[in-house]
Amino acid sequence: MGRYVVRRIIQAIPVILGATFLIYALVFLLPGDPITALAGEKRADPTVVAVLQERYHLNDPFFVQYWYYLSHLFTGDFGEDYRGNAVVDVMSAAFPYTINLALTALGIEMAVGVTAGVAAALKRGRFIDNVVMISTLMVISIPVFVIGFVLQLVLGVKLKTDYGFDFFPVSFNEEAGFRSYLMPAYVLASTSLAYVARLTRASLIEVMRADYVRTAVAKGLSPFRVVVRHGLRNALIPIVTFLGMDLGGLMGGAVITEGIFNIPGVGHQLFQSVYLRERTIVVGIVSALVLVYLFANLVVDLLYAVLDPRIRYE
Amino acid sequence: MRLTKTMRWTALAACTALAISACSTSGGKSATDQASGGSGKKGGSISVELGEPQHGLVPQNTAESEGSEVLNALFSGLVEYDNDTSVPKLRVAESIESPDATTWTIKLKDGYTFHNGEKVTAKSFVDAWNYGANQDNAQEALPFFDKILGSDELAPGKGKTPATKELKGLKVVDDKTFTVTLKAPFSQFKTMLGYNAFFPLPAAFFTDPKAFDDAPIGNGPFQIDGKWEHNKQIKVKRYENFPAAEGKAKLDTVTFKIYEKLETAYNDLRADTIQITDKLPVSAMATVASEFGDRYIYKPESGVGYIGFPIATNPAFANADVRKAISMAIDRESITKTIFSGTRKPADDFISPIIPGYRKGALGDVAKYDPAKAKALFTQAGGLPGNTMEIGYNADGGHKEWIEAVGNQLKANLGVEVTYKPFEKFGAILTALGDKQYSGAFRMAWSMDYPSAENYLRPIFSKIAIDNGSNYGGYVNEEFEALLAKADSAKTDEESLKLYQQADDVLIKDVPYIPIYTYMSSAAYTKTVKNVKVNAQGQMDLANVELA
Repeated sequence: MGRYVVRRIIQAIPVILGATFLIYALVFLLPGDPITALAGEKRADPTVVAVLQERYHLNDPFFVQYWYYLSHLFTGDFGEDYRGNAVVDVMSAAFPYTINLALTALGIEMAVGVTAGVAAALKRGRFIDNVVMISTLMVISIPVFVIGFVLQLVLGVKLKTDYGFDFFPVSFNEEAGFRSYLMPAYVLASTSLAYVARLTRASLIEVMRADYVRTAVAKGLSPFRVVVRHGLRNALIPIVTFLGMDLGGLMGGAVITEGIFNIPGVGHQLFQSVYLRERTIVVGIVSALVLVYLFANLVVDLLYAVLDPRIRYE
Repeated sequence: MRLTKTMRWTALAACTALAISACSTSGGKSATDQASGGSGKKGGSISVELGEPQHGLVPQNTAESEGSEVLNALFSGLVEYDNDTSVPKLRVAESIESPDATTWTIKLKDGYTFHNGEKVTAKSFVDAWNYGANQDNAQEALPFFDKILGSDELAPGKGKTPATKELKGLKVVDDKTFTVTLKAPFSQFKTMLGYNAFFPLPAAFFTDPKAFDDAPIGNGPFQIDGKWEHNKQIKVKRYENFPAAEGKAKLDTVTFKIYEKLETAYNDLRADTIQITDKLPVSAMATVASEFGDRYIYKPESGVGYIGFPIATNPAFANADVRKAISMAIDRESITKTIFSGTRKPADDFISPIIPGYRKGALGDVAKYDPAKAKALFTQAGGLPGNTMEIGYNADGGHKEWIEAVGNQLKANLGVEVTYKPFEKFGAILTALGDKQYSGAFRMAWSMDYPSAENYLRPIFSKIAIDNGSNYGGYVNEEFEALLAKADSAKTDEESLKLYQQADDVLIKDVPYIPIYTYMSSAAYTKTVKNVKVNAQGQMDLANVELA
């Protein structure tokens, strides 16, 4: 098991390197010069542009620029953006918000999604099943930004102005703390939540037909024990896989949600940085996201053994 | 009875909102200050909308609206502009005089200090300008210093290093006086001085310029409170030692809350989380007037939108009559009404309506929608080769709709085949035009740096603006140049204005760009604040805002 983990970690290194190279190349290939992008709608003075291009090696060929970046990276220096801010600072300012948001979303997804899925599976074809199936279908088919803006307007604005109920801040607000995350996390989780519910339902229905469940029922175990210990435990494997993949997706996919709720997180930063051609920031953030993804996958693979003792590593 | 019930709810909501905003923005301090206020209420805290500034908060390195909004609160310049008339008024300067529009003597008022206690002296200005004019410092506002004698030595161009660090044209006479010598007469110099590039810098800046980016030390009505929290907020508080009673801040603190989306900011405004926004999302336009009533500010601002032509590189557009015909075939009224729902006004002069020197209807026939005449003139002038025309626009700024409307009108009225070329952003069009890779017509806009008629002429249509400004069409007219030069050296404001208007007449004859609309600034504020004004640059005058 220990060797397995070490091997997986070593395997991650070329993946990370490949990812930084690809991202660097992609941002490099985007049309538009980062220095003029900084000037916004007005024309940047040609002399100033020339001085800055020189300073950031922007006139050098791609591989030379990439080498500058990489050689700094090996010394632990992520570089700075074209405004002179250290990329590490930019990233460490943004990541905590996205991690909080993604974990809250993951929590909502697990709690609500699995519960709804179990309820639907156990009452298959009944009212509760129909409610779950129809509502999840609706959530899947409505674009995230629509859900976001509607909730913001209803829970954030209307509730406060019309009823004086000020629980959900319209936009992210440091003082409101955890409350600030609830609405955006729900919006971020909504689509995956629907998938989790449907996946749980399908998987549990499948498992409940299995011989060992029939045996457990025949032994006279309590229905709760049958469902949770024998049914759900086995049904969880595809769900855990989905959730693990989804954590990476949630962190990367926060662009829209963070935009709507003005959360100063990674998605927001990434969007801005791509727009401004801030290569160093884009590469830094994306590499970090790749790391999260790889790590989540590793955790998922290790969890399999917990859920199903027959799975062995080596 | 239905009325009373609604009123009760509204009152309840308003009270809750008030209570919440009071404790959420300032830790309860505002409540006591508000009570002890007396006449000309002082104290209180508010939040306002802002977009993330592009650069560190150094006045010489800021050319965009978000950063300058903050700088305006933190710094006071030699002059400032009247909120209503845009006329420059002396602020830190006691007097700004010149016998010949070339040598200017600037005297400072007593009592102005930086937020760290350092006195604002002649040196504070001279050092700041020398810094801004030096290309090694790569400051965005560098071109603003090119009128001053010696600027070429500090900015010799690509690949060269400046031999000196001081502008020849700047001389400190004493603590309170300095002189500026320009390369050539420039009557508008005084007007220019309210622009943030000309703000002073304290000695502390030069010892650690990097620290200034996030926590600038200014000389304005507000001082920074803590540091700029990137993508989150910038907090400022009243500077108690601001010497002038008029212009001293009334509020205790202002938080610039940084937004990515205007829609979110607008929802926060409706929920009274922020109290003022000077930018509204397009989606709000339909309802904002009814929702905010007289707390909705709607007035012309400095921007002008054009259709431009690469006259120098594309001979198809070289004939002024063709351009004029295109202009006459565009129905500005319907575009501003239907596409912009009244958030723009049809342009009728090259000079913006808020600037002294603007003449209503100056464009005359050129801007009058007359399809029949347009068609006749177009045919008579020989039309366009292949009877086709391309219009480029940047796809990131909501320009697709009106550009396509213009295209449809040209198709219908002139019978030309119009195609469109979306660019990812405005900078991409500018680069393509600069590199001569694009030769179609293009969407263009200009907003002023300082409120002078000159600022709508030279930076866009003069010869020197081909390399250093926004003359992307490559338009050159010697008569126009001569009139500008004459206006620059005029002895009185009236005389210079008259000459600038004559230069404007040359443009109206030549139509190098077609002015389509002027921008309107739209701002809104909540019931909890009053005395909210927006100046010609679309910035809030925060020093005068009070709690209601």
